[in-house]
Amino acid sequence: MTTIRLENISYKEEIRRKTSKPLIWIGIMSIVMFFGGLTSAVIVSQGSGEFLKITMPFAFTVSTVIIVLSSVAFHFGLISIKKGNYAIAKLSIATTLVLGLLFVVSQYLGWVSLNENGIYAAGKESTQESSFLYLITGLHVLHLIGGLISLIVVLVKIMKERYNAENVLGIQISITYWHFLGGLWIYLFFFLRYTIA
Amino acid sequence: MSTHHHAKDFLFTYVFSQDHKMISKQFLVTGFLMGFLGLAMSTMFRLQLGWPGESFEVIDMFLGSWAEGGVITPDKYLALVTMHGTIMVFFLLTAGLSGTFSNLLIPLQIGARDMASGFLNMLSYWFFFVSSVIMLISLFVEGGSASAGWTIYPPLSALPQAIPGSGAGMTLWLVSMAVFIVSSLLGSLNYIVTIFNLRTKGMTFTRLPLTIWAFLLTAIIGVLSFPVLLAAALLLIFDRSFGTSFYLSDIYIGGQVLEHSGGSPILFEHLFWFLGHPEVYIVLLPALGITSEIVSTMTRKPIFGYRAMIGSMMAIAFLSFVVWGHHMFLTGMNPFLGSVFTFTTLLIAVPSAVKVFNYLTTLWKGNIIFTPATLFSVGLVSTFISGGVTGLILGNSALDINVHDTYYVVGHFHIVMGLSAIFGMFAGVYHWFPKIFGRMMNNKLGILHFWTTIICAYGVFFPMHFLGFAGVPRRYYENSAFPLFDDMVDINTFISMFAIVAFFAQLIFFFNFVYSAFRGPRAPMNPWRSNSLEWTAPVEHFHGNWYGEIPHVHRWPYDYSKLNAEGEYVYGEDFIPQTTPLGEDEKDGGEH
Amino acid sequence: MTIIIAVAIILVVIVGSQLLKIAELRAASKGELIYVMTEKESKFQGLLLFLSFFVFIGFFFWQMWAWYGLRLPVSASEHGVAIDFLSNLTYYMITPVFIVTHGVLLWFCYKYSFSPNRKALFFSHSNKLELIWTTGPSLALTVLIIMGLTSWNKIMAPIPDETDHVLIELTGQQYTWTARYAGKDKILGRSHVTLIEGVNATGVDADDSNSKDDKLVKGKFHLPVDVPVQFVFRSLDVIHSAYMPHFRVQMNCVPGLKTQFNFVPTITTKEMKKKTNNPDFEYILLCNKICGAAHYNMQMDIIVETQEEYDKWLAEQKTFIE
Repeated sequence: MTTIRLENISYKEEIRRKTSKPLIWIGIMSIVMFFGGLTSAVIVSQGSGEFLKITMPFAFTVSTVIIVLSSVAFHFGLISIKKGNYAIAKLSIATTLVLGLLFVVSQYLGWVSLNENGIYAAGKESTQESSFLYLITGLHVLHLIGGLISLIVVLVKIMKERYNAENVLGIQISITYWHFLGGLWIYLFFFLRYTIA
Repeated sequence: MSTHHHAKDFLFTYVFSQDHKMISKQFLVTGFLMGFLGLAMSTMFRLQLGWPGESFEVIDMFLGSWAEGGVITPDKYLALVTMHGTIMVFFLLTAGLSGTFSNLLIPLQIGARDMASGFLNMLSYWFFFVSSVIMLISLFVEGGSASAGWTIYPPLSALPQAIPGSGAGMTLWLVSMAVFIVSSLLGSLNYIVTIFNLRTKGMTFTRLPLTIWAFLLTAIIGVLSFPVLLAAALLLIFDRSFGTSFYLSDIYIGGQVLEHSGGSPILFEHLFWFLGHPEVYIVLLPALGITSEIVSTMTRKPIFGYRAMIGSMMAIAFLSFVVWGHHMFLTGMNPFLGSVFTFTTLLIAVPSAVKVFNYLTTLWKGNIIFTPATLFSVGLVSTFISGGVTGLILGNSALDINVHDTYYVVGHFHIVMGLSAIFGMFAGVYHWFPKIFGRMMNNKLGILHFWTTIICAYGVFFPMHFLGFAGVPRRYYENSAFPLFDDMVDINTFISMFAIVAFFAQLIFFFNFVYSAFRGPRAPMNPWRSNSLEWTAPVEHFHGNWYGEIPHVHRWPYDYSKLNAEGEYVYGEDFIPQTTPLGEDEKDGGEH
Repeated sequence: MTIIIAVAIILVVIVGSQLLKIAELRAASKGELIYVMTEKESKFQGLLLFLSFFVFIGFFFWQMWAWYGLRLPVSASEHGVAIDFLSNLTYYMITPVFIVTHGVLLWFCYKYSFSPNRKALFFSHSNKLELIWTTGPSLALTVLIIMGLTSWNKIMAPIPDETDHVLIELTGQQYTWTARYAGKDKILGRSHVTLIEGVNATGVDADDSNSKDDKLVKGKFHLPVDVPVQFVFRSLDVIHSAYMPHFRVQMNCVPGLKTQFNFVPTITTKEMKKKTNNPDFEYILLCNKICGAAHYNMQMDIIVETQEEYDKWLAEQKTFIE
């Protein structure tokens, strides 16, 4: 078992170029199944018994607007990079990041207002639907934090001017995931709006 | 300085390697170690079942506080059963089997230098490792390991009051499984993308070896079903630790009423079996793929019905997602839903039958060389038949009423899923050992291993059907509480004796494995005269798999029993590797 | 003791390795490769496989001879007869398939075992054959599916309202069963876990007028022969499964949920004692879903008797308010 190490391995770059996008897409597939499982759990438990309606906090609507705006900003950033306009790109991506953080804050405010209205995530006072509401939105935020981290990486790399018109793979990966998170939230928002709330 | 460099080198070559071949070895060794543990556990509880209440020194020695004076206690019996199931299904047959062979064969057989992401691949192994460690730690915590059966149905799994194992042991079980699922997803992700994007020039989908097709479908099933198990496990974690009520409702236990209300354990069963049933095929499909490849090579014949094989695997993969309800016929489910699940379940028998008949036709008029790999492949066909036919009883909701959760089920799934998958894995190890370790395994020991294993396997699992006929329930610590089952003692003793021999038979394999890995004769490049691409790669391992350019592919991988250039049959030259260009008026075998 | 075992294992491993090495060296000195299967060895394995067919099928029939008699006696319920019939029919279909496919598989192994002089047949596909073994099993399955679903829907159909029947609620909890008869009004009173208190171990609602005449029974419960019985299943703690093998009845008991099953017992305990030649025979209800440490001992006896005997027994039982 002799192990020969090839230095300056050039194939790694090629593999990365070929597979990064499919990797993120298949990853997205599994996240879809994850939330698919959770939302069908809501449907299954709705079928089995009485289900109380909850009023959706206004903050969640605000979040929806914020995340749509953030996606637009990100997209704008990508176009700017392709055009070689770094100043605008930096601004757009930074805006996206801020909007992403605002989304998290807005979700948090949503939970606070739910809690104040006597809708609890767990414990004696909680119901299955209230727990689902917290859990599903919480898990979405958890996935969003991954997106935020990738945004920070993208931003740092832009500062260092690592991207150019030909090399935007990193941004494309990040933007795919970000748009997906936006779409996922919109689905979850309407799903929860019409089942639980 | 140099030692430091050396140490670093060692670390990145053997430990944090991103090379698919090393990761494959890591999966293989970890999987087998876990599997050995699962085997030992089953041998222990077989002692209890075969000779109920008798004291055994070996049990005393290994189980300690789990066994008072050499007799396993009833709740620890359940802990052993649970851990045996978990380890065998997930750690040996999911990670050990898929992890090893997908990692080894996907890049080598499709002509890629490595996996799509070596880093994610490495993470996949280390997550698996961490999850194995957590699972092992759970054996030693207060209250013992998880004891609610490998299906961990709540409320039993949610309430430490119900069984001690549902305390810390269950928490660790869930954490371990969550980590395991991440590992499995990272692996599957890599396999799918690698197969879709990194095939060498000429490697079309109709030229892929059946192993690759099997791994691809397995990975797709994994990506679609494991996240749902993760969701199920998360909800259970929240119920257990944070006071939610997804699965719990109206429970009175230990003298008090619990606060949980509104949930339903049935929800868990739905979510669990939505993974659980596809999981059966996650375990089985790689084994079927491996044996297809071996049977073809060793009969020196093309696999019969290459496209039908792919089609039936696709059908099985698809159907596996719409049959989960057959585990839940008796949960008070709507009878109409039960009918639908019966229909889809029995439908799976069709593609399975096609596969069996195709195997048989491949053997017909072949020139079969009986290496241990071939023997285990034949064993797989046998167990696939013997275990498959009884599925027609269990899948039929009306008949399931009386055999559900009896030993009949235990016999059925151990034969069709457990034995088939492990036989496929053994076959794969014997066949690709020269590729994994660059050395050959000993044939004589392999043959001895095969015969002892298959005799004992049938000796253990066949009689279980008869216990099922008598209505003996599974997961019973002993049957003495029922005069009805008094006559069953003989069958149980019979089974246990075979189980003990089976345990020792596996030691032959482990000895052969370790010995051959270090001291076996050096392997030539293509010891089985096989067509597929992995045998064109040099025996020694290095990053990148091939020196120079990756070979191009010109034909399907099953051109065996061919005549040579002069139109004569010459023994040893009856195969045309995938890298040989097609002749002028030759058609590619995969495209008919 | 441990040391002796450890030493023995080490010795076996060392001796084994040395023997293997010697065998390999000897083969190498003759110019053979130890891992190549010779024609002779391969033929021998083929022969062994073929012989194993007879051993295997012999083993199968030996088991039938030795253990088939231990199976559950004739079904003591109406629908159970249909289940047994369909079950037997399935066995008549799968046993020949099991034996013939094994025969073919292992015969091929012998017949076509390796010879360097013979060329294997290049036979990669045949639409006709593949069609045959897609349609063949499909047809057989159609029969099984249709028959299975017919029985299933009959078994699961509720008892028509006008039919006279016995209504019993079975409650499982770790590790005991309680049966509750609906009493004269033929309606079970409400029950809920929050009402469990002292002797009221299953939480029957004393304020519900329907509960007053309900009768709770432990240890053993009685059923009248040839009268439909409607069972309602409850669980107080974890999932249990009420399994009555002699009646071919099984249904899970799920906390927070009520499940149902109905059937008609057709053979009294006394008759069954005669039929099985076993004076100690009892029908049993056992738990068939893992439920905790004493899962293996969660049972209740069932006694099936004539209507008169049953009425007499039931009259002796105390009602809930008593």
